[in-house]
Amino acid sequence: MTHPFQPKSSNYAVELNGCTKEFATPGGGSYFAVRDIDLKVEPGRFVSIVGPTGSGKSTILNMAAGLLNPSEGTVHSFGEPVHGVNRRASYMFQQDALLPWKSVIDNVSLGLTMAGVSKAEAYDESRRWLEKVGLKNFADRYPHQLSGGMRKRTAVAQAWIVNPDILLMDEPFSALDVQTRQIMENELLQLWQESDKAVVFITHDLDEAIALSDEVVILGAGLGSTVVGSYEIDIPRPRDLLDIRDDPKFVELHREIWGRLKVEVSKTYESAREEEESDAA
Amino acid sequence: MTVAPASKNTQRSPLRKDRDPAVAQRPKRKRSEASNFSIRMGQLALAAVVLGAWELLGRVGVIDPFFFPLPSDILLTVWVWISSGFVFPHLWITLQESVLAFLTGAAAGLVLGFLLARVRFLERLLDPFLQMFNALPRVVLAPIFLLWFGLGIWSKVAFGFTLVFFIVFFNTLEGVKSVDRVLVDNAKMLGASEKQLLRHVFIPSALTWIFSSLHISVGFAITGAVVGEYLGASAGVGYAIAQAQGVFDTKGVFAGMFILMFVVLIIDLLVNRLERHLLRWRPVRSS
Repeated sequence: MTHPFQPKSSNYAVELNGCTKEFATPGGGSYFAVRDIDLKVEPGRFVSIVGPTGSGKSTILNMAAGLLNPSEGTVHSFGEPVHGVNRRASYMFQQDALLPWKSVIDNVSLGLTMAGVSKAEAYDESRRWLEKVGLKNFADRYPHQLSGGMRKRTAVAQAWIVNPDILLMDEPFSALDVQTRQIMENELLQLWQESDKAVVFITHDLDEAIALSDEVVILGAGLGSTVVGSYEIDIPRPRDLLDIRDDPKFVELHREIWGRLKVEVSKTYESAREEEESDAA
Repeated sequence: MTVAPASKNTQRSPLRKDRDPAVAQRPKRKRSEASNFSIRMGQLALAAVVLGAWELLGRVGVIDPFFFPLPSDILLTVWVWISSGFVFPHLWITLQESVLAFLTGAAAGLVLGFLLARVRFLERLLDPFLQMFNALPRVVLAPIFLLWFGLGIWSKVAFGFTLVFFIVFFNTLEGVKSVDRVLVDNAKMLGASEKQLLRHVFIPSALTWIFSSLHISVGFAITGAVVGEYLGASAGVGYAIAQAQGVFDTKGVFAGMFILMFVVLIIDLLVNRLERHLLRWRPVRSS
């Protein structure tokens, strides 16, 4: 946990203090998804959260977004407590979240039109964004007529057009093939470098996390997990993601962080196997 | 008339399939186009064989033309009813009743469906009562409606209303509740108010469910009108059928049936058109 400087607590774009989330089970019991999460994201920083499956990564993001209320602890955004949806954040979901009954341009302009911007203005702005993400000839298509990569580009435009201060991304590219994914990561990084937005990026792919981020946060294994480590990624920017995996600094950081993550991943694997065995017995 | 809950269930599985683009796009386009013509010819042949056999067996006396009038006679009666203009006032009354029953029933079903799906408290409060009314075989309401609203069209409208309302209501409720969570969250993150959520997410999403119920509820609206007329009325196709039955005119009964059948088919075609327009964002299923 080494921060180069410690801004006043009110300056963090996202600040989770001692956040615990407990979910009720249908049987009447309950379980902890995450426990005692402390997460501080400064404005303009790119922070990735990496953890084994089932470690509650999405829960953390949903708390930061205001879609979930923590059972304990507080969530602040730019000094303001988050009640209900975090108005300064956009969210990119892992699944397809475009409205299937709206054309590409209607999907992209949705955030603006709902905020009361006139349709003509919203369309102009949407066209600019569609051009930026390389979809200017697809404005009138419906989402089901696009490839997976194109849908993600549309989602990027949809999330960025409202000019949020924070971008919350939940494994946004996990459904894409490796090549498309690298291209999308590159484009994302480019967009982000031109902006001053804070990004909280969730992934289970350590390569992706190191390549993109300023900071990588590692979550522990299993239910009720918490932050077990935080690493500063000081690879200089701008980075070229297509070659970064050969960078000696990248290799070194990868070895160091993987050493920690490996422990958690194998814990998850062990407990899954034990459960299977006890089920079988 | 009590099939409403059952039909609600049977619609569910095919609808789900349609939503999945991978499944929906599977039909092989080329083959179906090539065989379209032969299918039509087969259908014509099938109809000709059945009607021909019916006619033939009637003429040689194997089946009694009193109970099963010859197709040619039925056709003739249909023609007489149409050419003399006898059937049109009746048809007009029946359609009026159906349209009114459909509009009021669908509107009430939609409003209450959306309301209960969005306000959990109301749903839990009203659920047992709605279940009770739905469990009631609706035909038994017809006599009481006749007493309340008289022999005119309003007793049939009320009867059709009870049929249409529950189908639309249950489908709307289910449609709104089954909206993809991610779509709602995404719209919320983009700043949607409750009203905007309804307009941009819930209503379009529930439309597929509502439309599958529209097909059935249009049919039920007409059923309600005809059955109501049959039980007691002074006009309408159901009344005409009841009159024909009263004088043992089976040809007239069958003629009324055929006319109703074609009217419902035409209406269903129009509903299909509307559905295709409103759901044009969905992946094309076939053809």
